[in-house]
Amino acid sequence: METVQHILVYLILALAVAYLVYKFLLPKSLIHGGKKNSKDCSQDNCGCS
Amino acid sequence: MSKNINVALIGNPNTGKTSVFNQLTGLKQKVGNYPGITVEKKEGICKLPRGVKAHILDLPGTYSLNTTSLDESLVVELLLNKNDKDYPDVAVVISDVENLKRNLFLFTQIKDLKIPTILVINMADRMSRKGISMDIEAMEKKLDTKIALVSTRKGQGIERIKELIADYKNLSSAPNVDAKRISPEYFERLQKTFPNEDLYKLWLVITQDVNFMPIEKKHIEDATSFTTKSKEELKKLQHKETVLRYQFINNTLKETYKVDFLAAKGFRASLDKILTHKIFGYLIFFVILLTIFQAIFDWSSYPMDFIDEQFALASEWIKNTLPPGVFTDLLAEGIIAGIGGIVIFIPQIAFLFLFISLLEESGYMSRVVFLMDRLMRPFGLSGKSIVPLISGTACAIPAVMATRTIENWKERLITILVTPFTTCSARLPVYLILIALVIPKGTILGLSYQALTLMLLYLIGFGMAIFSAMILNKILKIKSRSLFMVEMPTYRLPLLKNVAYTVLEKTKSFVFGAGKIILAISIVLWFLGSNGYSEDFKNAEQIVNDRIEQEGLSTYSKNYIQNNIDAYRENALAEGIAPEVIQDSIQSMTHDLRERAEAQEIASYKLEHSYIGQAGKAFEPLVKPLGYDWKIGIAVLTSFAAREVFVGTLATIYSVGSDEEETIKTRMAAELDSSGRPLFNLASGISLMLFYAFAMQCMSTLAIVKRETNSWKWPLFQLGFMSVFAYLVALIAYQILI
Amino acid sequence: MATVADLTQGQKGIIKDFAEHVLPIKLLELGCLPGNSIELIQVAPLNDPIYINLSGSHIAIRRSLAELIELDIIEETQAL
Repeated sequence: METVQHILVYLILALAVAYLVYKFLLPKSLIHGGKKNSKDCSQDNCGCS
Repeated sequence: MSKNINVALIGNPNTGKTSVFNQLTGLKQKVGNYPGITVEKKEGICKLPRGVKAHILDLPGTYSLNTTSLDESLVVELLLNKNDKDYPDVAVVISDVENLKRNLFLFTQIKDLKIPTILVINMADRMSRKGISMDIEAMEKKLDTKIALVSTRKGQGIERIKELIADYKNLSSAPNVDAKRISPEYFERLQKTFPNEDLYKLWLVITQDVNFMPIEKKHIEDATSFTTKSKEELKKLQHKETVLRYQFINNTLKETYKVDFLAAKGFRASLDKILTHKIFGYLIFFVILLTIFQAIFDWSSYPMDFIDEQFALASEWIKNTLPPGVFTDLLAEGIIAGIGGIVIFIPQIAFLFLFISLLEESGYMSRVVFLMDRLMRPFGLSGKSIVPLISGTACAIPAVMATRTIENWKERLITILVTPFTTCSARLPVYLILIALVIPKGTILGLSYQALTLMLLYLIGFGMAIFSAMILNKILKIKSRSLFMVEMPTYRLPLLKNVAYTVLEKTKSFVFGAGKIILAISIVLWFLGSNGYSEDFKNAEQIVNDRIEQEGLSTYSKNYIQNNIDAYRENALAEGIAPEVIQDSIQSMTHDLRERAEAQEIASYKLEHSYIGQAGKAFEPLVKPLGYDWKIGIAVLTSFAAREVFVGTLATIYSVGSDEEETIKTRMAAELDSSGRPLFNLASGISLMLFYAFAMQCMSTLAIVKRETNSWKWPLFQLGFMSVFAYLVALIAYQILI
Repeated sequence: MATVADLTQGQKGIIKDFAEHVLPIKLLELGCLPGNSIELIQVAPLNDPIYINLSGSHIAIRRSLAELIELDIIEETQAL
């Protein structure tokens, strides 16, 4: 019983850590195939020309 | 079973596109993101007559296919790419009966892409009030399409849309305006170079900055036999295209669309007079803001207290029911506490989004933009900055994206940089719990001190945004044209359904977006808090028991026992129980309490020497001058991932260190500092609130700023500047107040 | 030459030819083309921006932009 509980704890911990790594450390482009934004818009007239 | 019909809903903003979408799909819709970008993707299934199903995609609102934002590029990309799995079999263009002329501009562009297109004329219920009459049949002929006259408000015409979609194969896909007329010579050459491609599509690829799969833009630019024109020349041709389209539209509407201005009645004019009035306009805006804050604080406190209690109960239930062990502890202390830290803020977030969507749906937001533009300009901001600044009170991420409507790059950049100062909903939990702890209850002029404090915090955030904008305006040397244009939509009573959908959606995305992060961090923290490597940690029980034997219980424990006994005595006396009986029960109570206090001290000692305790202690000197202990330090540190983690972190740390299930609030209130005063007192509480008000603690915002400014320079500047500033302000506040 | 910025509240005008390239395309798409009418509905509290009815589209623009749109003012008598 004790072992099962330990296993469960480590399993959940691993899931949580994996999720955080996925969310914050991996650059998004790796996951989504690196699609470049076509409209970076760091210029004047964004939204009107 | 045949394949579903792919339908794309396209339309100008403010045409009721979302209402049509909601009515077509009902609850069978899902909201996701387009891969790799944060633009919302809304899709749903609609049942058509004769058992056919349609897959409906709600595209972002756009005025034309001349893209100026990511949202709009998306529309064009989809419409140009036949291989996309969402490429529409039929496009449904939603228009608004009052602005038909302008809406038709987009319609003709889509028609020219040779996609079968249905025209929906929405808000038909306003026709008679506005004195509008139309000859639908003639219009259908002129535009070479089928028209559905719809009133989403009254739920009329939706069936007609469904029939037309089901019958899409009979729609004509001939263009409205011949692209060659824009510039015969130029298009002739274009056609010769790419004989197999559609001219209008080529034209869009040349003029628009979009990813286009079959022929890459680059190919056209590289084609040796063909030279593209300069930007100026292209722009001139685009103007020509606009003129041609309007000629066609004016021709169409001349005979089919009539407005009798005498019959038109509108309350827009009179309402505008009041809402944009020199004095009343601002007054009304201020009263609206005040109401929002009072509501968020007062009304939502009831469901929040209830939720807080329920989670404490759930935690206790798990501990008592499941077999004891580490996993049970994780459930009770890590996971339940973590989830509680998310769920408790649902009421407030729902309220906030409710108000924001009411303001936007009703058309009032544009009036605020109009009112504020001149006032914001000296600070280097645009009237449109008010929308990010207000929606920033919900979340900085959509707010930063909303800056795309600002035409002027300098104004836009400044808005992006200062928006994270506005009080986002993630700060709300931190403020609320701290306010409840350190600000006394009581009212002045019918407003509670606590609500006023909250209002003040919002004002500080807003003030700081304005102030830093002013500074940035001075130091940033960017030349740009002063452009500004905002549509003033007709006022409408917000549709309950739309508002409800928005609130539901946003709350859901908070719970499942931010919630997952909070939960994951809670789990990791729990683990770090209940494990340790040092000898002190492993021998905690022995060490604490020895100390208690030598020095007795700690002040905290003594107070804890005394308070409990006092409370019991008072109660018992009030109930008229005999003093001897009371004395007896106090005796046995003291024994129980003592045991609990000892267990508690062991737990705290363990926590202090766990991984997290050691990390916190190392970090403590940095936060000590601000009045925080190492536990708050940890919470502040984890908050740099996302602010809303704060309460969850404290909840987890405290419940690891506690043997009892209490609400987060009571646990925080009971916390003492080294000299025996409450840890969360006025000085440290205000210092903490100010820290959270100014610090840039949100990874997602940094990421979005990077994307929007296309460089790491600005987000790093934000992170550094805001965090150092926050530290200094918190330091000064604490040192003055203590 | 009169421009949109010269209109007084409630006054109308017909857009004349103007140097197209100075205006953003968005404005043209909303119907800012020669021959169309513009009516000034409201002026914001600090005299700027202005709120116009551009052949059916209700929009607000700044004075600096309004000064670029030339028009013939229609006298009040013709208005409703």
